[in-house]
Amino acid sequence: MDADLIVVIVVATALAFDFTNGFHDTANVVATSISTRAMAPQIAVGYAAALNFVGAFISLEVAATIAKDVVVVRAGDPEFLLVVFGGLVGAIAWNLITWYFALPSSSSHALIGGVVGAAFASQGADAVKGDGVLGKVMVPALVAPTLAFVVGGLSILIIYRIVGRLRPGPVTRGFRGGQVVSGGLLALAHGTNDAQKTMGVIALALVANGTLSAASPDPPTWVIVSAATAIALGTYVGGWRIIRTMGSRIHKMDSAQGFAAQGAGAAVILASSHVGFPLSTTHTISGAVIGSGAAKRLSAVRWGLAGNIVAAWVLTLPAAAVIGGVTYSITRLFGTGAVGPVVMSVLILAGSAALFARRAQQASPVGAGA
Amino acid sequence: MRAVLASVVDGKALLQVIWVSIAAGIGVTVVFAVGLVGATRAVDLSRDGHRVEAALFAALAVAATAAVLLAVVFAIVVMTDK
Repeated sequence: MDADLIVVIVVATALAFDFTNGFHDTANVVATSISTRAMAPQIAVGYAAALNFVGAFISLEVAATIAKDVVVVRAGDPEFLLVVFGGLVGAIAWNLITWYFALPSSSSHALIGGVVGAAFASQGADAVKGDGVLGKVMVPALVAPTLAFVVGGLSILIIYRIVGRLRPGPVTRGFRGGQVVSGGLLALAHGTNDAQKTMGVIALALVANGTLSAASPDPPTWVIVSAATAIALGTYVGGWRIIRTMGSRIHKMDSAQGFAAQGAGAAVILASSHVGFPLSTTHTISGAVIGSGAAKRLSAVRWGLAGNIVAAWVLTLPAAAVIGGVTYSITRLFGTGAVGPVVMSVLILAGSAALFARRAQQASPVGAGA
Repeated sequence: MRAVLASVVDGKALLQVIWVSIAAGIGVTVVFAVGLVGATRAVDLSRDGHRVEAALFAALAVAATAAVLLAVVFAIVVMTDK
């Protein structure tokens, strides 16, 4: 009975994380379309939400990586449910902290960091699959943004050469039209890669509960549908603060740069999802946005802000791991029953409400048209 | 260090991600830009009365748009196929 209640709490927490993931990462998908006026803000966000939902259904490779290659899964062990719970809380807390400071950090790395930290706190280094974390998370985490930077930069250089002598009006309108397609593809890619991470974590919880087999932990349909819904809802609600950072504060984009950045981001994320790399969509699109700006003119990029993004990038895995580990340890103080997760859930809800209230008091209004 | 990386990183998958990203990311944006040249030049030439050249540029625009849409569909099919 207690284990079932913990599973319910873990699934609800995972879906809450998925919601914050959509909320936090909306910027990745829609910021370039909004800032170049390719789409009106509410339409862009609704469009991205719909394609995030669809994207969640097109692959399960990343979910499999999360469920099998990051930590040692202890099938049928209720204590492992607390590990998954601690990891989720670590990820949510880090997402909220970076949202508060308007930094586009990675929800994916927060989730993986949180689960790794909680597993480490539970069973020591043996609980972490170092090979999987290094080979399937860390190395792609370095390669993907660099690749997106290069592809975004080269694309815009070639585009400017091709369309450079044309009248600017039709070119701008044409690339805005292209952004509808490239932005859609990026939303699809985001749904594919990010919703699967939540599916993978729920699969971990179901394996720990004995509901799924550890040998083939493919998430059942209800998990896929609920994860897709949560990320789509989060995307629809949107994170306007981060949209502003991504859309105009890194550099002021024209529609050709927006198109190149979205195309590069979508290509890297879809290719990575296909082989099961759970990479950060945030870092990938940030790399593409910076690449498309730097290729035009190095001074066009606000390198100080880009540096902050890189700092958040470096900090995310260890910070989420520490929060995940601490959460697991506190939860474990209450035993292996449902009391610990209930207490921690109340605390995280109260903390989230306090952060939102504080931000609402401090923030200058950032409306839909910003 | 290199030996450790070589043993844990799926080099084949990583190389696949790199070449596919470069080919698709740059390829699609370049083809789209060529389509834009075709569309813009077709309108300009048509306005100036050069109908044959305008038709050729229009055909280029249509072909480029079709190629971009095909690439998008192909990407989705490949993703769902696995």
